[in-house]
Amino acid sequence: MGALLTAELIKLRTTRTFVALAATAVVLSLLLTILTAALTEPTASSVRSDVFESDLTTLFILVLAVVGISGEWRHRTITSSLLAAPDRVRFMLAKTLAYAAAGVALSVLITVAVDVAGMVILSARDQPTPPAGDLVDLAWRNFVLAALLGCLGVGVGALVRNQPVAIVGLLALGFIVEPVLLGLAPSVGRFGPLVGLPSGVTESDIGDGTADLFAPGLALALLVAWVVLLVGLGTLLLRRRDVDGG
Amino acid sequence: MAAIEIDGVRKRYGQVQAVDDLSFTVAAGRVTGFLGPNGAGKSTTLRMLLGLVRPDGGTATFGGRRYEELEHPSAQVGAVLEDASFHPGRSGRNHLRVLAAAGGHPPRRVDEVLEHVGLTPARDRRVKGYSMGMRQRLALAAALLGDPEVLVLDEPTNGLDPPGIRWMRGLLRAEAQRGRAVVVSSHLLAEVAQSVDDVVVIAHGALRAEGTLETVLGSAGGPVTRVRTPDAERLAAALRERELAPEPAGSGALRVPATTDAVGLAAHEAGVAVLELTALSQSLEDAFFALTDQGA
Repeated sequence: MGALLTAELIKLRTTRTFVALAATAVVLSLLLTILTAALTEPTASSVRSDVFESDLTTLFILVLAVVGISGEWRHRTITSSLLAAPDRVRFMLAKTLAYAAAGVALSVLITVAVDVAGMVILSARDQPTPPAGDLVDLAWRNFVLAALLGCLGVGVGALVRNQPVAIVGLLALGFIVEPVLLGLAPSVGRFGPLVGLPSGVTESDIGDGTADLFAPGLALALLVAWVVLLVGLGTLLLRRRDVDGG
Repeated sequence: MAAIEIDGVRKRYGQVQAVDDLSFTVAAGRVTGFLGPNGAGKSTTLRMLLGLVRPDGGTATFGGRRYEELEHPSAQVGAVLEDASFHPGRSGRNHLRVLAAAGGHPPRRVDEVLEHVGLTPARDRRVKGYSMGMRQRLALAAALLGDPEVLVLDEPTNGLDPPGIRWMRGLLRAEAQRGRAVVVSSHLLAEVAQSVDDVVVIAHGALRAEGTLETVLGSAGGPVTRVRTPDAERLAAALRERELAPEPAGSGALRVPATTDAVGLAAHEAGVAVLELTALSQSLEDAFFALTDQGA
């Protein structure tokens, strides 16, 4: 498994897509933090959510994971991948772990950047800053979310081989369907894997802040269930699928 | 035990029987040409052998074990498939680094095989800038990473220029001489005839011939004789009496599906002068067409 995981991590590092999307995630997260820290006047109770919750890792690692696995079909590298790793369950496991690790690495990078920038600007403006414990608490929640959404992206990409359809579908789900559901039917929307459950894990206010989210522990458990379901179905499909030349 | 054993494999795609109860073996230390026209089922057979396509029935094994059951598959079997594809944004060297890591091969092998296939100068270029021939060489480098005992190559000369084809032939021979089992598919018999020891010919997914190149060519159509005489009509009648089937071949000559002995004796008994009596050897293409039911 270690060899396959190493191979997947090399794949990640050796295309420009990963570098470009990761850099974009860092820059956008940093920009949002700098703007809110420089232009708003948060209270001591709201400073954490107002300034320090700009970690965009989840969105980007989700897209990266979908690109990573659906790209195996798009570029037909799935053939050489499965020749090197004919056990398709192990292949999927290695891919899933690689994107979980990549999600955590990206989230660590963004957390450090956001926290340093936010603290420096707020301190310079004599604005309240959150206690270190709050930032640590938020950080580990973000790390867990990044890992889980990396896994989720692998599951979705394994199920929907068509890369544009998979990406557009996920973005529509995350930016339109789930927010609308949370507004209209929060008891349903809170089950959503891209907004509802992640917000429950980080205890973030979303929309008008009235949505009845799950408690963090339960939200985390439900998100893990989503990951297991999607990666499991993706693995099952891959095991049954012929890898022909077409 | 044969290096590769295909035993009764079958595969159907919808209404098309792509491979139909196909059986053959490939021996170590020999180059085996796996031949058939486009659509004959060669690639599907090789993909079943490599665990990429699930057969409807039968088994395809390496030394008695399915590809998925091999302990270190890429160290035992190297494969180049017809649709060898690479991430266009990854360099050739990085593509091999991925495969070396996945197969547990030492990183130094990457540069060794790049050197072996002549891609060292282009190793850090992104694959999207590679020519078709360079991609084939890269695919071959990937197959050689684990220094495998068996090489499975599906149409490996596609995209290669004449020097590249010559280089490939030399490489196949060299690998066989090292004791490797090499199976190379092609839809052109002439392309592989110079480098193969054995051939397996399939058409419509079924086996048509298997054996050494000479044996298979000999069985493809039988002897043919060209005979020229001043009295072709009389000789033709004599041949037909012996249930042979002469065909006009121009300039008073006949083409007869029989040995020179049979035609000479028939001419002698008919009292016809013979000006020319020649055994015609079938061309590779003739034999291939005869075996695979293709029109000339």
